[in-house]
Order: sequence, then C-alpha cells, then structure tokens
Amino acid sequence: METRALGDTGQESTVLTFGSIALNWLEQEGANQMVELVLDHGVNHFDVAPTYGDAELKLGPKLRQYREDIFLGCKTQEREYEGAARKIDRSLDRLGIDTIDLYQIHGLEYEEELDTITADGGALDAIREAKAAGKIDHIGLTSHGDPDLILDAIDRIDDLETVMFPLNPVVAGKDDSEYDYEAVLERCESEGIGTLGIKAFAKGSWPSTDELAEADRPYANWYEPVDTPEAIRERFDFAAAQGLDTVVSPGDPKLVKMVLDAASRFEGMDEARQRSLIEEVRHDDSPVPEQLHH
Amino acid sequence: MAADVPETVTAALADRQVEGQVCLEAGAGVGNTTAGLLAAGAKRVYAVTNDADHAATVRERVGDGSADRLVVVEADLRATPLATDSVDLVTAHGLCNVLPPADLDAVAAELTRVAKSDGRLVVDDYAVPPADAAVTRLFALENAAARVVDGRPALAFYPPAVLAAVFADHGWAIERKATLLDPVPWTEAHLNAHADVVREYAATLPDSLGEPLAAMAEDLVAAIGSERAGTMYSLAFRLGDV
Ligand SMILES: C[S@@+](CC[C@H](N)C(=O)[O-])C[C@H]1O[C@@H](n2cnc3c(N)ncnc32)[C@H](O)[C@@H]1O
Repeated sequence: METRALGDTGQESTVLTFGSIALNWLEQEGANQMVELVLDHGVNHFDVAPTYGDAELKLGPKLRQYREDIFLGCKTQEREYEGAARKIDRSLDRLGIDTIDLYQIHGLEYEEELDTITADGGALDAIREAKAAGKIDHIGLTSHGDPDLILDAIDRIDDLETVMFPLNPVVAGKDDSEYDYEAVLERCESEGIGTLGIKAFAKGSWPSTDELAEADRPYANWYEPVDTPEAIRERFDFAAAQGLDTVVSPGDPKLVKMVLDAASRFEGMDEARQRSLIEEVRHDDSPVPEQLHH
Repeated sequence: MAADVPETVTAALADRQVEGQVCLEAGAGVGNTTAGLLAAGAKRVYAVTNDADHAATVRERVGDGSADRLVVVEADLRATPLATDSVDLVTAHGLCNVLPPADLDAVAAELTRVAKSDGRLVVDDYAVPPADAAVTRLFALENAAARVVDGRPALAFYPPAVLAAVFADHGWAIERKATLLDPVPWTEAHLNAHADVVREYAATLPDSLGEPLAAMAEDLVAAIGSERAGTMYSLAFRLGDV
C-alpha cells in the first residue's frame, strides 16, 4: 500500500489509516482477526479513542504483538489539564503500551474550547507534559468543526503536528467558508502539518429517528456510508487524490474489507473524474433551480 | 459569494486571465459561469441570455454583493447591444449544445464582433454522448418534440474539433483543450430538467400528441434514474494571428 510522509513527523503512513472504532462491535477473536487482516494489507497507521466503547481494550493484544509495525493515534475530548492527564494514563493502561505515537485533541468545535485547551491548566499542558515524559510522541488535533477554527488552532498551537478533518466530494463542492477544509489542507501542506481525512465514505445523514430507529440502521457509522465496492473505491480514490496524507477507514467493520481493497489498489484519480464526483453530489441540496447543465 | 461555483467552471477559468477583465458570459443560464467570473475578480460581467427567467435568476443569485460589476443583458446572442471591440474575455459554458448549427455560426460571428482584437474565448461543452448511453434516448425525445413544435432541434452536441473549426473560421486560434468532466454525471435533477423541456413542448401540442410525449419523457427518466456518460470539454482561444 502507498505510504506518504505524515507532515514533518518523520512517520511514513500508509494512505489508509485503520479507524479502530470498528473493533468495538467485534468479539475479541473477531477483533484480532480484523487487525491481522488490516496488517496483512500493509496498513501501518491506526487510530483509536477512549470514547469508542471497548475499542482500546480490543486493540490491545494485537497492538502489543505488533507494536513496532503500528503507528498509533489516540485522542481525548478532555479540555482541561486534570482530565487530559488522566485520560492519557488510562488509554496507555487500556492499550497496554508505554507510548502513544500521536495524541490528538479530539472533536474541537468551539472557540471557547480552544481557549480552555491552550490556557494555563488546559489540556495542552497535560499533553506537553506527557510528551516530555515520553508517554506520547506527537501532538495532533481532530475536528469536523468550522475550518476557520481549525486554522486558528494551527496558529495558536505551535507544536501541532497533525490535523484530522472531513473531506469528500460533498464538502469539496461547497464554496462557503464553513466547508472550506481545502484551506485547511493547503495551510497544513505549507506548514508541514500531517493531514488525516475523515468522512470520506459519508453518503449523507441518516434519516430522522422517526423514520428509521437508531437500532435499525444497517451500519454503525454516525452517518450513512456508501457501501458498494465501486462507490467505496471511488470515495477512497477521491479523498486520497486531494492530497491528504492518509484517509481514515469508516467505523463499521462490515465496510473495512472493501476499504482495504480500495486502498491497496489506489492509483490516483484524474481531475476530470474528481470534478465528476463533485458535480454528481453538488445538486443533492442545491438551492439553484433545476438545470440542464453542469 | 453565496453561489457555489461548479468545479467545471473553476477548472475552465483557472488558467485564464479573469481579474480586471471585461467579460461576456454568452448564455448565462442560471449564472454558474457569471458567478465564477465575478469570484475570479472580473472587472465587469455582461451576462447575456434571451430567457427572462434566467435573467431574473442570475440577478437574484449572483447580483448580491457584486451588483456594481454585473450587467444582466436580455438579448439574442446573434445580435447583442454590446459595442464592437469591447470585451476582453468571452465565455460560453454549456451554450453551444442548445444552439442548432445555423445559430451557432451567427452567434460565433457576434461574439467575435464584440471581442477586442486581442480577446480571449472559453468554450465549454459536451462531447457527443456515447451511442449506448441511456440519456441519448431522452435527448432524442427532446429533439423530436422540439422539431415537431419549432421545426428545429433543441440540442446539438458538437465534437470539440467541430467547435474549434467554427470559431477558427472567425479568426480564433486555439490555445488549449482540457477535459472538465469524465464521465458526465447525469443526475436525476438533470434528467428531470430535460424532461421538463419535453413537457413544455408537449404542452403546446394537442393532447393526443402532447400527452404521449410527456409520458414517454417521464418513463425515460424513471427508467434511467441517473447515469454517468460522455465527457465535457473546455476549449480556450485567442483572437488574432494564428
Ligand atoms: C444552459 S444555459 C448555459 C449555462 C450557463 N452558461 C451557466 O454557466 O450557468 C444556456 C443559456 O443560453 C441561453 N441562450 C440560448 N440561445 C440563446 C440565444 N440565441 N441568445 C441568447 N441566449 C441564448 C439560454 O436562454 C440559457 O440561458
């Protein structure tokens, strides 16, 4: 599988990152098999979080067995020192390892959160302390929030080394600043910050729970995913062709094999094809009157 | 700018000088290219269409915030009120496929008249869709309805070499060719818009003729659903010595 430099971290990540949340829905034996399958495809970057149910615990055994082969990202939603310090130790403990390669501030959404995180006694203090103590190697951020807020975070966190954000044809087709993740991508490229793409496989939101109860959804993702081999391949190729360093696999274990397959076969995507995908979904919720042309 | 500029438009304009230029958007439609030209810093955009609804849509959708740089002109492209030698950049995005051959040449002549002697031109259009594409059945029905009502087809897909030759006849030298879409995604919305054209023609006909036409259009849209077929290309020209 193709690898790319993850910004200036020194890490060469496979173009696919395994979203280990998928392990949460498997028994331990199935989780072990899935990690073996993922490693068989050459994937060397895994991502996990303490909020993904049992995923950390289920990843543990195989992670320890193959520790050298896996660059592990983990995250915290804590915004203050105490909580973040505790979460780092807890994740290390649950995973059963000494060092997390990449530790990310997870799900940044509001300016005030950024204030708290970067203030004295904020989560960053704990993360930096952990870094100095060798518990983590690199510092990252994840957000599906306002791109301007992410840019702001890049400005305010000097030692930020990676950013994880959404990128897919729907997002790429929108010009409003609230969807301008391309600006984030550009900034990261110019500053040597690693980029991880999420929501690459999102087709849309789930129908309202009145129409479709949460328990009746066919996939564990928090959005409705594309789910045919062709569509998955196309979405993977699109995301990887945008220039992201790596694309995170979707949360549902049923989709992982197809995504591994797509990533193994990745050979780029020409621009006329990328535009075609953007154009195809641009009309989904277009305010413009029906039109004949593209 | 609120209007989302399609990637097709952005790609076609990316290697053109737009900033500070006086532009003519030939066949403004719903204003996609107008929005793209304004976003790229055009000094002024004359958005020309012969359709009053389109003119209103462009004003409403794109006029906001750039009203001082936008002039929507309701006119026939074969004879516009624009001055000779007055335009730096002419764009025709998805225009030629709605021009039957006889009109195409007259429009090319008029665009050449208003362009400055060192003017530039961008023509974006669809290649002839592959014969086995289901959408060709809908386009054929649309043309049949148009012929019955107007005595001329509604759609004409020109290969890039043909459009290059038509404009070359008026002194335009080709600078580059690019593929904008491959494949072209004909979504349900696009197919419905084409079916609407059939319905409009059908509405002007006696029921015995119009109703079956409209029903056929509806059936075709339902049968096709959506389809990816064909390509959309972009040609860039400059006026003057070849
Ligand atoms: C489908 S639209 C083109 C799309 C548009 N360029 C855009 O970027 O959104 C075609 C336009 O050409 C206009 N048109 C067609 N024939 C014309 C003519 N002879 N004179 C003026 N406008 C014409 C139609 O009314 C319509 O507004």
